[in-house]
Amino acid sequence: MEGTRDAILRQLRMARSMEVPKRIQLPPPYEAAMTREEWIEKFAAKLGEQTGVFYRTADTTGVLEILSNLVRQEGLKNVIASEDGLITALNLKLWGADQGVSVSFPHDFKDRKDYQDTVFNHADAGMTAADFAVAESGTLAIIHDKSNARLLSLAPALHIAVVEAKNVVPVYESVMESVFLNGQSPSQLCFITGPSMTADIQGQMFKGMHGPRKLIVIMVG
Amino acid sequence: MEIKTRQFKAVARQELNNPNSRIFLDLLPVVLSSLRQLAMASFPDPEAAQRLGGIIRAEALSRLPELLEQFEKNALKAGAKVFWAGDAHAANAYILELARNNQVDFVTKGKSMVTEEMGINEVLEKNGIEVYETDLGEFIAQLLKRPPFHIVGPAANVPPPEIRDIFIEKGIMENPTVDPRELGYAARLYLRDRFSRMKMGITGINFAVAETGTIINVENEGNIRFNKSSPKIQVSVMTLEKVIPNLKDAMHMLRLVSRNCTGQHIGAYASMDTGPRKKDEMDGPDELHIIILDNGRTRLYQNVKTRQALQCIRCGGCLNICPVFGIIGGFPYGWVYSGPMGQLLTPLLLGLSGCHDHIWACTGCGACKANCPAGIDHPRVLHYLREMEVQGEKSLDAVPPPFTEDMAYKAFSVIASNPTLWKLTSKIIRTVLNRNAQDGKLSKGPGPLETWLAGRDFPQMGDKTFHERWKEIENNPPKAVLEN
Repeated sequence: MEGTRDAILRQLRMARSMEVPKRIQLPPPYEAAMTREEWIEKFAAKLGEQTGVFYRTADTTGVLEILSNLVRQEGLKNVIASEDGLITALNLKLWGADQGVSVSFPHDFKDRKDYQDTVFNHADAGMTAADFAVAESGTLAIIHDKSNARLLSLAPALHIAVVEAKNVVPVYESVMESVFLNGQSPSQLCFITGPSMTADIQGQMFKGMHGPRKLIVIMVG
Repeated sequence: MEIKTRQFKAVARQELNNPNSRIFLDLLPVVLSSLRQLAMASFPDPEAAQRLGGIIRAEALSRLPELLEQFEKNALKAGAKVFWAGDAHAANAYILELARNNQVDFVTKGKSMVTEEMGINEVLEKNGIEVYETDLGEFIAQLLKRPPFHIVGPAANVPPPEIRDIFIEKGIMENPTVDPRELGYAARLYLRDRFSRMKMGITGINFAVAETGTIINVENEGNIRFNKSSPKIQVSVMTLEKVIPNLKDAMHMLRLVSRNCTGQHIGAYASMDTGPRKKDEMDGPDELHIIILDNGRTRLYQNVKTRQALQCIRCGGCLNICPVFGIIGGFPYGWVYSGPMGQLLTPLLLGLSGCHDHIWACTGCGACKANCPAGIDHPRVLHYLREMEVQGEKSLDAVPPPFTEDMAYKAFSVIASNPTLWKLTSKIIRTVLNRNAQDGKLSKGPGPLETWLAGRDFPQMGDKTFHERWKEIENNPPKAVLEN
């Protein structure tokens, strides 16, 4: 007997075919003519439009300094951080001990339930790396894999993302070309543009609906 | 979801007097249109960018079977499970069984029109499984048991005091407030608890990428991301036309859907999944189930005149610009899809017989077509559907107009093609009509004209017909004309 799948495909194939419309060529995006520094400027400006906060520093020492300031500003006690190389290089546990901040990593937990309990109920901030920063809309792109858990950039009220200046790209297509290589696809790739938001009650927009209420981006390099 | 398409006019009449809907509807064209324009201006050539959207969607449809197979192959390769559902019933049964087999006692949902079309909430609830809509607007609409008012702002017309009352009644918050931010925060805390311990999340799909087997969701709140990160089982439902050739096209459509929907350059989150989580990953679903739903679409696809309705990407841009939607809002359409896109999809999916008003509630202004990022010519399709209705086209479940209307037009055609009859009738008819004249206007008329004149005035008819006046002028030319 013919299954649903085959029946659907057969009926679609039976239908009268229509001409495939000819593609048109779009003029190159504005970002194509910009320098890397201009991309960074645009990224920061677009991020700012979405209330995202932008810092730039030369190296890891600079990142830790910014973080130490954030601890005081935001009153952070509990931070959960991703295991991305860019983050582990910061040696956050040592830094945390010095700052009086408890730092944990997803794989510290014995099971997923414990991890979820912390990321949902105890972490004041989630700290992750971002694989790319996209100039066109101030967007972060994060590849979620074993060292980049999904909930870190979503469940805590504050999301701190660290991204390298060399990974600033002009448009979304640049991310796609680098990420989806040779038929290899990450289980999830996420574009993040500003904190979570809504305007569902009478069109009144506010940040921090289900996800982070605040997004801070630290660019290194 | 209960189908109330036959009550279109009655609900529209009520809605005209709904002050809460008015506030929102009056703002729509002004605010959202200008935001859209601003956002579209970020393309070096906005018009070409919009046109390319239409081309991508038309190409996707013309290659539909091939792209679906390619998508399925790649999604399976990535470890997703793919289920093809012929109708809503089959899709609901699949989800219900999945929930039962995994001892799921509640599910959370990301906003999705297709699951409303399926009526999954009712099916799960009837079987003792609680359902939480997690998009703030949808959450409010669900609590109030109301249909979505607007595809993007399902509860945009609900005043804060009403939200406060239902939140207190349902124990979602304790301290009364009408501040949108605090109401949102109460919903955040309430749903967060569900997010942290859910086993199964259900979402829709914005784009399904054939090239990679990737599914893409665009949103602002983060609720869809929770549904894709927290539970062990993720069910994502797409109708078969959601497929798109490749990632490059998906990126272009991503730009268009956000710009046309809310005037954003991109929603706060665009999440793209290819298969479930990999073994050593900390979160994400163990199982990703993708349901490809037909529910009447292969039938719709057969007709080349209506096929383009499937190009829709559900941005809601046509609602924001439609002068009819702008007056009556989303409720009169009586089902899941409202505005111009609903005026095509609803009759085509449910049949013309219960959707008479949908195909006629259009001024033909073409604003929807001019704004559509998916290349749909709504007025043209509606015009075609009107023609099909008059002809009683069976394949579209059309009910032809009553015999009397048909007779009236036949009589008209006899009269209009005979000069003597035409002159005689036009002489008589003006006497009859002018009997109801008041202040130089006709607001009432006999027979079927009664309804026609109910919504518009017609100027009182002149005493003499055109032919009579022409004859007079010929016999006795006015001086002014001669002098020139």
